Amino acid sequence: MARCGGTRNGGSKQSDLTRRDVLALTAIGLVAGAPAAAAATAPGGQLTWAIHVSLAPTWFDPAETEALITPYMVLYALHDAMVKQMPGKTQTPCLAESWSSSPDGLSYEFVLRKGAKFHNGEPVTADDVKFSFERYHGAAHQLMKDNVAAIETPDPQHVRFKLKKPWPDFITFYSTASGSGWIVPRKYVEQVGNEGFKKAPIGAGPYKFVSFTPGIELVLEAFDEYWRKPPGVKRLVMKVIPDEATRLAALKRGEVDIAYSVRSELAEELQRTPGLTLKPVVLQAPNWLYFPEQWDPKSPWHDLRVRQAANLAIDREGMSQALFLGYCKITNSIIPYTFDFYWQPPAAVYDPAKAKKLLAEAGYASGFDAGLLYCDSSYSNMAEVSLDNLQQIGIRAQLQPIERAAFFAGYVDKKYTRGIIQGASGAFGNAATRLASFVVNGGAYTYGSYPDIDELFSQQAGELDHEKRAAILDKMQQLVHEKAIYAPIWQLGFLNGVGPRVGESAFGLIAGFAYTAPFEDITIKGA
Amino acid sequence: MKQYIGRRVGYSLLSLFLLSLTIFFFVRVTGDPAALLVEPGASPADIAAIHHQFGLDRPLWVQYGIFMASLFHGDLGQSFYYRMPVMGLYLSRLPNSLLLAVVAMGLSLLIGIPSGILAAVRVGRFWDSVGKLFALLGLSLPSFWVGLVLILVFSVYLGWLPSSGAGTPLHLIMPAFALGWYFAAAHMRLTRSSMLEVLGSEYVKLARIKGLPQSLVIAKHAFKNALIPVLTLAGINLVIMVNVAVVVETVFAWPGIGRLLYEGIAFRDFPVVQGVVIMGGAMIVTVNLLIDILYAVIDPRIRLER
Repeated sequence: MARCGGTRNGGSKQSDLTRRDVLALTAIGLVAGAPAAAAATAPGGQLTWAIHVSLAPTWFDPAETEALITPYMVLYALHDAMVKQMPGKTQTPCLAESWSSSPDGLSYEFVLRKGAKFHNGEPVTADDVKFSFERYHGAAHQLMKDNVAAIETPDPQHVRFKLKKPWPDFITFYSTASGSGWIVPRKYVEQVGNEGFKKAPIGAGPYKFVSFTPGIELVLEAFDEYWRKPPGVKRLVMKVIPDEATRLAALKRGEVDIAYSVRSELAEELQRTPGLTLKPVVLQAPNWLYFPEQWDPKSPWHDLRVRQAANLAIDREGMSQALFLGYCKITNSIIPYTFDFYWQPPAAVYDPAKAKKLLAEAGYASGFDAGLLYCDSSYSNMAEVSLDNLQQIGIRAQLQPIERAAFFAGYVDKKYTRGIIQGASGAFGNAATRLASFVVNGGAYTYGSYPDIDELFSQQAGELDHEKRAAILDKMQQLVHEKAIYAPIWQLGFLNGVGPRVGESAFGLIAGFAYTAPFEDITIKGA
Repeated sequence: MKQYIGRRVGYSLLSLFLLSLTIFFFVRVTGDPAALLVEPGASPADIAAIHHQFGLDRPLWVQYGIFMASLFHGDLGQSFYYRMPVMGLYLSRLPNSLLLAVVAMGLSLLIGIPSGILAAVRVGRFWDSVGKLFALLGLSLPSFWVGLVLILVFSVYLGWLPSSGAGTPLHLIMPAFALGWYFAAAHMRLTRSSMLEVLGSEYVKLARIKGLPQSLVIAKHAFKNALIPVLTLAGINLVIMVNVAVVVETVFAWPGIGRLLYEGIAFRDFPVVQGVVIMGGAMIVTVNLLIDILYAVIDPRIRLER
């Protein structure tokens, strides 16, 4: 039988304008403002969200899911997947009641849940599952299609995926790293076409589509026949409010009940406001420092003690307090703690004295010039703190912030061969996929590798036994830690606000997920 | 006359062509839209797939050719972010922007003209100073700051007005004021200077010598003539208002084309940015063309100019 494992990941894109100068003023003003006690929404079960990014119709169609967490804020309401991450459990059977894999790893068979229905009353069938997979063209679709030889539907309750070769990560990609396992009704899609489907989507999720104004507002209504349980709130309204200060004002007035992404001074203000609750969640998006010169014997970074010193120099807790009110999770790993096959390294230590000692032992008692520290400019505030921390033990570097697209393009193209890289990833997958991209020889973001780790990676890739594979991946992560290939910083905190009417907001129920979900668990106080 | 109109139309088309060229290349300087459609650290294959889907893997001149060919057919392209025709998105937001602009213009005239007249008839005195201060603040305070302060006072402190969104007349008040103040200041200044000019003219002096009361001189003789340049400016400003309310619409979550442009910029949605800018440019160029033609109809000297 297949095992539970991989998880939905985090990593939210925040696109609001930053206007620190006025935010401070606004925050001061908001301190004095009394929150409106009354809720603007009518009684009878409506909750309203203030969304920080524009809602796009592509989010209504799982076939178009990009390698981005944001669409899942809507997918979890409208649609359902064969297997998805749920509270307390990764890779939870949903529309699939169960699944099993053949001993040779070449076949996965799913049994569909009896009684699961689409919003139009049609049952979810094996034919819909096959259709949904075949029409999927979002993130990792080529990888999925390259590995899947055929899909068989022996009867309406059973689906069998035949693989071309054993692929231990099939379930990870089918359940969490792509949208191919989210099911749409074949008959309806064929009847209305792809464009028609985006205009009036029908899914098998806990909420039905009511109306949508692109970029402005989405209205959903509870689907009482949802297989897991009827939703607790009758009507959901998702309003796009791009400005952070306006979102907070709307929350204070009771115009909205839940506000995504309220940061810095405004988050502090939210925390101080009676009746409002700050709901931080940890995203599956770790940040780290990477030392691309470590494979060059002439570079100071070649010495393990120098890399260990850099690890000891970073004041992660202080940085989290200063930049995210202390809500980042310090895991000391570049792999999200929610990922399948995650290995927890020893806790990160901040010890500049020991770091200086290690540097001296390595022959750099007076420190050294490390060149440039490259970073995505949207995270340059973090890089500034890291730079200062390194400077304090004598590692001198200059900040080189680069616009996000150009930064990642340069990272992939291996342009930053000297200096330090401050990297991040919110990509979906599991520990193996993350190691493949960032540690192992040939990885898209790998500047060098270690033969023992590469060897272990090859071993795990062909290992079908979950326990044995987990042991190999644990060993790999242990080596990454011991060799101090990276100086992991943290997993980012994402701060949100919740108003007084909300009972269960569902923030943080799904580990690493940025938004409210599962929607059927959300409640109104006293309702 | 035909030659004159032909020349003006030619200039207008040239302006729009240069605008299309500028916005097409400038918007691409902002970076790669694919980077905003994937999580950081996504696989190069996923990024390449997005480039292919949006046609961004083609040479720039081919992309520009496709853009222009579509434009000639009235097609502004498909939004990267919304995956919908830009024209549809634009037209769905335009009525909201028009409504906001009309109300903001009404407010700006209601405030700007009387305060301009008051400043002119009380030139150098208290009310003139108040008017100048009002104009100075209106022209210099950034509209996002004005917007946030309005929300703070009227939504959070007093609870009188909704903080954001659209749907009722109450939703219009704050964004219209935030947008209209700048233009009210401009209208106030123009009214003041125009009134001062008219009040110093010979026929107003004659009216005063004839013993007409001051109120009649101002209301009947001076005001009407002073109003002409103000209304001309207001007409042009109305078109500008429709197209420049990016910040105000974003702060108040007003569903207009300014916010659509903001979203286009934020998500590097090239077709949306190009579409909104081209449509805005076309609106302004058309109004200017009509004014040029109107001037030529009224004044033969203009159309006979080479």
